[in-house]
Amino acid sequence: MNHLTDEQFEDIMQGKDADLRHLSECKDCQNALAEKRAVAKRLQMAFKSVKPDASLEETIRGRINEKRRQLGLVVSGGRPWKTRLNDKMWSTLAAAAVLFAVAIPLAIYLSASSSAIAGQAELVRIHEHNMSPHTEFFSDSDPEKLAAYLKDTLGFTPAMPAEGHGLAIRGCCIAHFKEQITGSYVVSTPSGIISIIVVPDTPKDIAMDRMPAKKGYGQTFWKSSYAHCNMVAVRLGDYTYCGVGEISKISHEYLRDLLNRLLSDTQPS
Amino acid sequence: MSADTGSFEEIALGYIDVVYRVAVGLCGKSVDADDLVQDTFLKAFERFGMFEQGTNCKSWLLTILRNTWIDRLRHQKVVGNVVSLEDDIIDQAGEVDEDVKLNSSELLERFSDEQIIKALKRLPHEQRLTLLLIDVEQLSQNDVAEIIGVAVGTVKSRVSRGRMELKTRLESYAKEMGLTGGEK
Repeated sequence: MNHLTDEQFEDIMQGKDADLRHLSECKDCQNALAEKRAVAKRLQMAFKSVKPDASLEETIRGRINEKRRQLGLVVSGGRPWKTRLNDKMWSTLAAAAVLFAVAIPLAIYLSASSSAIAGQAELVRIHEHNMSPHTEFFSDSDPEKLAAYLKDTLGFTPAMPAEGHGLAIRGCCIAHFKEQITGSYVVSTPSGIISIIVVPDTPKDIAMDRMPAKKGYGQTFWKSSYAHCNMVAVRLGDYTYCGVGEISKISHEYLRDLLNRLLSDTQPS
Repeated sequence: MSADTGSFEEIALGYIDVVYRVAVGLCGKSVDADDLVQDTFLKAFERFGMFEQGTNCKSWLLTILRNTWIDRLRHQKVVGNVVSLEDDIIDQAGEVDEDVKLNSSELLERFSDEQIIKALKRLPHEQRLTLLLIDVEQLSQNDVAEIIGVAVGTVKSRVSRGRMELKTRLESYAKEMGLTGGEK
């Protein structure tokens, strides 16, 4: 007699159709199911009393409002504008028609703009994470080892600048950008720490502005500022290399010079 | 919809209990769990423009939580001393004598909630998350497969192995704590 498989047990636990005829006849499977149910029930009970402190929600609300301020959005204690908008829409049919004609393209614009700004926010977040006190992360690292690690994880080796003249590659990490795995590494420079983050999105996708052309620089560079960070990007192959550094220490021009050096020092493999 | 509608709090923050429970299951009751919850909601806020209203917000938040947690684990690894997430098991439960086999819910009740959560925390990362989502949060296998990014079959085998592993560990602890001796 064949006993139920783990997969069949899991289906029964989820209330799905399964071989219940065998179960009704087999004491071993009945016992096995009872044990699985006992563990599952006990585990669920163990978390019944796990609840966040009220202060945690307040902290999150505060941080979200802070983020809104950084984004230049109004922090409102009243009803959401969407609800207020609905009230107005019902006032007259004509007004609604006009509003409809204006609101659709505006909503599309705002949605695309919000998504692009969210991309910048994510770049800053990755940079901040790179700056967080993970001492191991900033320990001396061999660029070849870093490159091998990134290749192993990402499937390709990002371009890296040659070290020297005050530049040193300090470490790398894998993060998520728009829910996709992406790589970044940290370069220590005389002016401060810079994160180079490699993403598939184009600079335009991240709402960056084209920088004026500079003599001797063959590539188009893009720039933006978000929160406390400056960022400059350049497209190289299928990826955009985004340099991110603190506004107080790293200018757009400095980031552009670093990325230009990246282009001249290495080629992506 | 864009993130500036003010409804993020109405839609997403309602799941704070769920996100917190899973974070505690992953990190234990600690500052780390609070940080993970905060980072998850901040990321969710930044990406709220991409969230399609009417879809499963809980799964969306748990996907962000999982990715944030994975990013943290990766950050904690020393480059050049990379350990596979699957291999990163704190310790393995030893062999358990037949006479301490857990065969009733009575013995499970002898453990405190905290001890159960601690035992869970010692399971491999992805196994622990799968078990949390299926047994604690009662999500469907399909939703969990989507959150973790694996096939439904993998979810089934992970949760089954996870439950077995947890049971084995508890049996081992029961033996160490003398919870079984002579009472069977």
